[in-house]
Amino acid sequence: MERGYWIRSKPVYTALLWNDKATAHAVLAEGEGGLAVLKLFQQALPEQPITVFYSPAGADKDYLPALQAAVDADLRVFETTADLMAAWASYLAEARMGLRIYTTGIEKFMWDVAETAASFGILNQDVMKELTGSLARSVYCVHCKSLTHEVTSNIATCGGCGRKLFVRDHFSRRMGAYMGLMVDAENPGEVPQIEEIYP
Amino acid sequence: MSQLQVKVASIQDVSAGVRHFTLVDASGGELPAFSGGSHIVVTMPAPGRTYRNAYSLLSSPEDRAHYEIAVHRQPQSRGGSIYMHEAVKVGSVLDISYPVNLFALSRVAKHHLLIAGGIGITPFMAQIHDLERLGGDYSLHYGFRSREHAAFADALKGRVSQRAVCYDESLGQRMDFDALLRAQPLGTHVYACGPQGMVEALVATARALGWPEHHIHSEQFLAPPVGEPFTLKLSKSELEITVQGDMSMLEALEAAGVDAPSLCRGGACGRCELEVLGTDGQLQHHDHYLSDADKASGRKIMPCVSRAKCGYLELNL
Ligand code: FES
Repeated sequence: MERGYWIRSKPVYTALLWNDKATAHAVLAEGEGGLAVLKLFQQALPEQPITVFYSPAGADKDYLPALQAAVDADLRVFETTADLMAAWASYLAEARMGLRIYTTGIEKFMWDVAETAASFGILNQDVMKELTGSLARSVYCVHCKSLTHEVTSNIATCGGCGRKLFVRDHFSRRMGAYMGLMVDAENPGEVPQIEEIYP
Repeated sequence: MSQLQVKVASIQDVSAGVRHFTLVDASGGELPAFSGGSHIVVTMPAPGRTYRNAYSLLSSPEDRAHYEIAVHRQPQSRGGSIYMHEAVKVGSVLDISYPVNLFALSRVAKHHLLIAGGIGITPFMAQIHDLERLGGDYSLHYGFRSREHAAFADALKGRVSQRAVCYDESLGQRMDFDALLRAQPLGTHVYACGPQGMVEALVATARALGWPEHHIHSEQFLAPPVGEPFTLKLSKSELEITVQGDMSMLEALEAAGVDAPSLCRGGACGRCELEVLGTDGQLQHHDHYLSDADKASGRKIMPCVSRAKCGYLELNL
């Protein structure tokens, strides 16, 4: 198992807050993150230009009309998250230092946003994150190394090797995923009760 | 502090008040490797007292046969730079520390913006070697008072002219930090070395524009300011030491044979921090390492640059 590679606890997320010291702001949201964007725009707006990237994918409600009314900024809406990520990468390629980055949505979305930013030299800790919507986890199987997304239970079936994985609280920033360890390694077939704990 | 012995192989005056020293290993061997941005501390046994000053290495880090340093004669110097200018000759043997890098290039930067003022160009001379060798993306902005103060403008012109912009203040050319910083692509790291006012202005501008703290690197070698004499009481070793007005606390400790750690000797690295147990006066903090809260608490002091206006100062040492 990779040592020193996982952080012992799950990441801490905050509520988004504008950072006044900046030259520009980029807000990236998916699904239920639309609500967090609405809250963000109720705070006093910073003076610098703001660009909002939003993909409604996975939202329980339609936040678009409210966003269009409330967001006094350059609002860019994408049908799919993949389109949003492609636009984000080309935006970053033109961006200058002083850009502040805010993201909100489910964990996987936020870590994809941060990872794209990291490829442009921005550290993950400088991307502000607010978790909204589902607590679903991405799980990395330490046995077959594949990722299984949208896991909502304490025990998941690995999409790669089919093992039953216990979902740990150990989180890999690089993969944006939690560690999954085979539950019945000692006593094959002995799987504890599966509970939905990350709704 | 572990020491190396070097011999002065050549001396050159490169610009007004700046003398350039080429050092070789005193026994003819190879010198330890270093990375661009490193400095050494030179021990100068002047009559009556010993000075120790930090100087950036400006030679190519790949050259293990020589170290090069440049020493700016500080008019208000307490003696260190004057000693280098007047007492050190070709063939002199000097004790120096092993190189230490407190101003290293970031490995994750997408672009390096190097900002030099006056003699602050020296660490960048070595860093440019590293950047050229590794193919790093960078630009250098070098300001100086006038052409005759431009210690390395010609050397830069020959080597990296398309990457370097020079600003001659006597011609009214000045760096516009705000415009320069705003123009930098994402993932840029900025490095500043030069006079205190310049470095502080650059750091403040970068912060105001929202640069994350770890994208901002700076180095200044503060000379310890002179003050009034006072007495150090060391509680553990039960010693009493007088700090002369033109001596730093660190120098006074070293002169008394006390083993006091240090690295940058310029109030930046934090290595020399000491615990204050009491004083009958006021601490005078000159470092830029301690937080304002630490300074206000009166419990900590950086003896390389800070002192006290008092009769005695008691240290947990
Ligand atoms: S030796 Fe670096 S702060 Fe004093």
